[in-house]
Amino acid sequence: MAEFRLDCLYEACPIPLLKAHKKLQQMKIGDLLILETDHNCSIVNVVDWVKKQGHHVDYIEITEGQWEIFIEKQK
Amino acid sequence: MKIYNKIFKNPWTYRTGAVLLATFNILLFYTTGRMWRVTNGIVSIGAFILEKIGLEPSKWYYFTTYRNIDIKTSESFLANPYILLNLAIILGALISVLLASEFKWKKIKSKKQLGFALLGGVMMGYGTRLSFGCNIGGYFSAIPSFSLHGWVFAFFMLVGAWVGSKILVRYLL
Repeated sequence: MAEFRLDCLYEACPIPLLKAHKKLQQMKIGDLLILETDHNCSIVNVVDWVKKQGHHVDYIEITEGQWEIFIEKQK
Repeated sequence: MKIYNKIFKNPWTYRTGAVLLATFNILLFYTTGRMWRVTNGIVSIGAFILEKIGLEPSKWYYFTTYRNIDIKTSESFLANPYILLNLAIILGALISVLLASEFKWKKIKSKKQLGFALLGGVMMGYGTRLSFGCNIGGYFSAIPSFSLHGWVFAFFMLVGAWVGSKILVRYLL
Protein backbone atom coordinates (compact mmCIF):
# COMPACT_ATOMS: atom_id res chain seq x y z
CA MET A 1 0.00 0.00 0.00
CA ALA A 2 2.49 2.57 -1.13
CA GLU A 3 1.63 6.24 -1.54
CA PHE A 4 2.85 8.37 -4.44
CA ARG A 5 2.61 12.12 -5.05
CA LEU A 6 2.55 13.57 -8.53
CA ASP A 7 3.31 17.27 -8.96
CA CYS A 8 1.23 18.59 -11.86
CA LEU A 9 1.08 22.23 -10.70
CA TYR A 10 1.22 24.82 -13.49
CA GLU A 11 0.66 22.10 -16.08
CA ALA A 12 -2.21 22.33 -18.56
CA CYS A 13 -4.24 19.64 -20.30
CA PRO A 14 -3.52 16.93 -21.18
CA ILE A 15 -0.27 16.66 -19.20
CA PRO A 16 -1.84 15.84 -15.78
CA LEU A 17 -3.90 13.04 -17.38
CA LEU A 18 -0.92 11.59 -19.24
CA LYS A 19 1.29 11.79 -16.14
CA ALA A 20 -1.38 10.01 -14.09
CA HIS A 21 -1.71 7.33 -16.79
CA LYS A 22 2.04 6.74 -16.82
CA LYS A 23 2.33 6.66 -13.02
CA LEU A 24 -0.63 4.29 -12.57
CA GLN A 25 1.00 1.77 -14.89
CA GLN A 26 4.00 1.58 -12.55
CA MET A 27 1.89 1.17 -9.39
CA LYS A 28 0.53 -1.94 -7.70
CA ILE A 29 -3.12 -2.68 -6.86
CA GLY A 30 -4.13 -0.88 -3.67
CA ASP A 31 -1.47 1.83 -4.05
CA LEU A 32 -2.56 5.44 -3.65
CA LEU A 33 -1.69 8.24 -6.04
CA ILE A 34 -2.12 11.88 -4.99
CA LEU A 35 -2.10 14.21 -7.97
CA GLU A 36 -1.58 17.91 -7.22
CA THR A 37 -3.05 20.24 -9.81
CA ASP A 38 -4.18 23.84 -10.24
CA HIS A 39 -5.81 23.24 -13.62
CA ASN A 40 -9.56 23.06 -13.16
CA CYS A 41 -10.02 20.91 -16.29
CA SER A 42 -8.10 18.16 -14.51
CA ILE A 43 -10.77 17.67 -11.89
CA VAL A 44 -13.08 16.79 -14.78
CA ASN A 45 -10.99 14.89 -17.30
CA VAL A 46 -8.61 13.09 -14.92
CA VAL A 47 -11.46 12.13 -12.58
CA ASP A 48 -13.71 10.95 -15.46
CA TRP A 49 -10.91 8.94 -17.03
CA VAL A 50 -9.88 7.29 -13.75
CA LYS A 51 -13.52 6.32 -13.06
CA LYS A 52 -13.75 4.81 -16.52
CA GLN A 53 -10.62 2.77 -15.80
CA GLY A 54 -12.36 1.37 -12.72
CA HIS A 55 -10.17 2.87 -10.01
CA HIS A 56 -11.42 4.67 -6.90
CA VAL A 57 -11.13 8.44 -7.17
CA ASP A 58 -11.97 11.56 -5.20
CA TYR A 59 -10.64 15.11 -5.00
CA ILE A 60 -10.54 18.03 -2.60
CA GLU A 61 -9.79 21.70 -3.12
CA ILE A 62 -6.88 22.34 -0.78
CA THR A 63 -6.66 26.08 -1.46
CA GLU A 64 -8.29 28.52 -3.91
CA GLY A 65 -7.82 27.07 -7.38
CA GLN A 66 -5.68 24.12 -6.30
CA TRP A 67 -6.76 20.52 -5.89
CA GLU A 68 -5.48 17.12 -4.81
CA ILE A 69 -6.91 14.17 -6.68
CA PHE A 70 -6.76 10.86 -4.79
CA ILE A 71 -6.60 7.73 -6.93
CA GLU A 72 -6.57 4.22 -5.52
CA LYS A 73 -5.49 1.65 -8.07
CA GLN A 74 -8.05 -1.17 -8.29
CA LYS A 75 -6.81 -3.41 -11.08
CA MET B 1 -24.97 27.07 -1.20
CA LYS B 2 -26.15 24.11 -3.21
CA ILE B 3 -27.26 26.29 -6.11
CA TYR B 4 -24.05 28.34 -5.86
CA ASN B 5 -21.97 25.18 -6.14
CA LYS B 6 -24.00 23.89 -9.04
CA ILE B 7 -23.72 27.08 -11.08
CA PHE B 8 -20.34 28.56 -10.20
CA LYS B 9 -18.24 25.88 -8.59
CA ASN B 10 -18.85 22.50 -10.18
CA PRO B 11 -17.81 22.03 -13.79
CA TRP B 12 -20.68 22.09 -16.28
CA THR B 13 -21.28 19.10 -18.50
CA TYR B 14 -20.04 19.11 -22.09
CA ARG B 15 -23.67 19.11 -23.20
CA THR B 16 -24.48 22.29 -21.23
CA GLY B 17 -21.38 23.94 -22.66
CA ALA B 18 -22.26 22.94 -26.22
CA VAL B 19 -25.83 24.21 -25.96
CA LEU B 20 -24.69 27.54 -24.49
CA LEU B 21 -21.95 28.01 -27.09
CA ALA B 22 -24.37 27.30 -29.91
CA THR B 23 -27.00 29.65 -28.43
CA PHE B 24 -24.54 32.52 -27.97
CA ASN B 25 -23.02 32.03 -31.41
CA ILE B 26 -26.50 32.27 -32.95
CA LEU B 27 -27.25 35.37 -30.86
CA LEU B 28 -23.96 36.95 -31.90
CA PHE B 29 -24.66 36.25 -35.56
CA TYR B 30 -28.23 37.51 -35.26
CA THR B 31 -27.32 40.77 -33.51
CA THR B 32 -24.06 41.67 -35.28
CA GLY B 33 -24.07 39.65 -38.50
CA ARG B 34 -20.70 38.21 -37.56
CA MET B 35 -19.49 34.76 -36.66
CA TRP B 36 -17.41 34.21 -33.56
CA ARG B 37 -13.70 34.41 -34.35
CA VAL B 38 -10.73 34.82 -32.05
CA THR B 39 -7.35 35.08 -33.75
CA ASN B 40 -8.72 37.66 -36.14
CA GLY B 41 -8.71 40.16 -33.28
CA ILE B 42 -5.30 39.05 -32.02
CA VAL B 43 -3.68 39.55 -35.43
CA SER B 44 -5.03 43.11 -35.53
CA ILE B 45 -3.42 43.89 -32.17
CA GLY B 46 -0.14 42.47 -33.52
CA ALA B 47 -0.40 44.57 -36.67
CA PHE B 48 -1.16 47.68 -34.60
CA ILE B 49 1.97 47.13 -32.48
CA LEU B 50 4.10 46.58 -35.59
CA GLU B 51 2.74 49.85 -37.03
CA LYS B 52 3.67 51.69 -33.84
CA ILE B 53 7.27 50.49 -34.02
CA GLY B 54 7.61 51.71 -37.58
CA LEU B 55 6.78 48.75 -39.80
CA GLU B 56 4.03 48.88 -42.41
CA PRO B 57 1.95 45.72 -42.08
CA SER B 58 -0.92 47.35 -43.99
CA LYS B 59 1.22 46.96 -47.12
CA TRP B 60 1.86 43.28 -46.52
CA TYR B 61 0.16 40.84 -48.84
CA TYR B 62 -1.97 39.29 -46.10
CA PHE B 63 -3.41 42.61 -44.94
CA THR B 64 -3.87 44.15 -48.40
CA THR B 65 -5.86 41.07 -49.38
CA TYR B 66 -7.84 40.15 -46.27
CA ARG B 67 -7.99 43.22 -44.06
CA ASN B 68 -11.33 44.38 -45.48
CA ILE B 69 -13.13 41.34 -44.15
CA ASP B 70 -13.40 42.99 -40.74
CA ILE B 71 -12.08 46.54 -40.93
CA LYS B 72 -12.04 49.19 -43.62
CA THR B 73 -8.67 50.14 -45.01
CA SER B 74 -9.16 53.67 -43.68
CA GLU B 75 -9.76 52.44 -40.14
CA SER B 76 -7.12 51.68 -37.52
CA PHE B 77 -6.29 48.06 -36.85
CA LEU B 78 -7.76 48.59 -33.39
CA ALA B 79 -11.20 49.11 -34.97
CA ASN B 80 -11.46 45.34 -35.38
CA PRO B 81 -14.53 44.39 -33.30
CA TYR B 82 -13.05 40.99 -32.46
CA ILE B 83 -10.53 42.72 -30.16
CA LEU B 84 -13.43 43.80 -27.98
CA LEU B 85 -14.93 40.30 -28.12
CA ASN B 86 -11.59 38.80 -27.03
CA LEU B 87 -11.33 41.24 -24.12
CA ALA B 88 -14.90 40.34 -23.16
CA ILE B 89 -13.98 36.64 -23.15
CA ILE B 90 -11.02 37.30 -20.85
CA LEU B 91 -13.17 39.48 -18.58
CA GLY B 92 -15.89 36.81 -18.53
CA ALA B 93 -13.36 34.13 -17.65
CA LEU B 94 -12.00 36.30 -14.85
CA ILE B 95 -15.50 36.92 -13.44
CA SER B 96 -16.34 33.22 -13.58
CA VAL B 97 -13.11 32.17 -11.85
CA LEU B 98 -13.59 34.84 -9.18
CA LEU B 99 -17.19 33.73 -8.59
CA ALA B 100 -15.92 30.19 -8.11
CA SER B 101 -13.11 31.60 -5.90
CA GLU B 102 -10.55 29.64 -7.87
CA PHE B 103 -8.36 32.54 -9.00
CA LYS B 104 -4.68 31.70 -8.86
CA TRP B 105 -1.52 33.10 -10.42
CA LYS B 106 0.31 30.34 -12.24
CA LYS B 107 4.04 30.10 -12.47
CA ILE B 108 6.21 28.86 -15.28
CA LYS B 109 7.23 25.36 -14.32
CA SER B 110 10.44 24.97 -16.29
CA LYS B 111 12.44 26.40 -19.16
CA LYS B 112 11.29 23.46 -21.24
CA GLN B 113 7.64 24.30 -20.65
CA LEU B 114 8.32 27.95 -21.53
CA GLY B 115 10.20 27.00 -24.71
CA PHE B 116 7.53 24.62 -25.94
CA ALA B 117 4.78 27.12 -25.10
CA LEU B 118 6.48 29.89 -27.10
CA LEU B 119 7.20 27.55 -30.00
CA GLY B 120 3.61 26.32 -29.93
CA GLY B 121 2.30 29.88 -29.84
CA VAL B 122 4.31 30.92 -32.90
CA MET B 123 3.22 27.80 -34.81
CA MET B 124 -0.44 28.31 -33.89
CA GLY B 125 -0.32 32.00 -34.80
CA TYR B 126 1.23 31.27 -38.19
CA GLY B 127 -1.14 28.38 -38.77
CA THR B 128 -4.21 30.48 -38.04
CA ARG B 129 -3.25 32.96 -40.74
CA LEU B 130 -2.83 30.17 -43.28
CA SER B 131 -6.21 28.68 -42.37
CA PHE B 132 -8.06 31.97 -41.65
CA GLY B 133 -8.87 31.20 -38.09
CA CYS B 134 -8.20 29.04 -35.10
CA ASN B 135 -10.46 26.22 -33.95
CA ILE B 136 -13.14 28.88 -33.44
CA GLY B 137 -13.12 30.87 -36.70
CA GLY B 138 -11.87 28.01 -38.85
CA TYR B 139 -13.91 25.22 -37.31
CA PHE B 140 -16.54 26.13 -34.71
CA SER B 141 -18.02 28.96 -36.78
CA ALA B 142 -17.36 27.34 -40.15
CA ILE B 143 -19.35 24.12 -39.71
CA PRO B 144 -22.72 25.80 -38.89
CA SER B 145 -22.19 28.16 -41.86
CA PHE B 146 -22.09 25.07 -44.11
CA SER B 147 -18.61 26.02 -45.22
CA LEU B 148 -16.42 23.22 -46.55
CA HIS B 149 -13.32 24.75 -44.94
CA GLY B 150 -14.57 23.73 -41.49
CA TRP B 151 -14.49 20.05 -42.45
CA VAL B 152 -11.05 20.37 -44.03
CA PHE B 153 -9.93 22.11 -40.86
CA ALA B 154 -11.42 19.31 -38.73
CA PHE B 155 -9.55 16.61 -40.63
CA PHE B 156 -6.18 18.34 -40.36
CA MET B 157 -6.85 19.29 -36.75
CA LEU B 158 -7.16 15.55 -36.01
CA VAL B 159 -3.88 14.88 -37.82
CA GLY B 160 -2.23 17.74 -35.91
CA ALA B 161 -3.58 16.55 -32.56
CA TRP B 162 -2.24 13.05 -33.25
CA VAL B 163 1.24 14.34 -34.17
CA GLY B 164 1.14 16.79 -31.25
CA SER B 165 0.28 14.10 -28.74
CA LYS B 166 3.16 11.94 -29.98
CA ILE B 167 5.57 14.88 -29.52
CA LEU B 168 4.06 15.61 -26.11
CA VAL B 169 4.44 12.04 -24.85
CA ARG B 170 7.96 11.75 -26.28
CA TYR B 171 9.44 15.07 -25.07
CA LEU B 172 7.27 16.60 -22.36
CA LEU B 173 6.24 13.79 -20.07
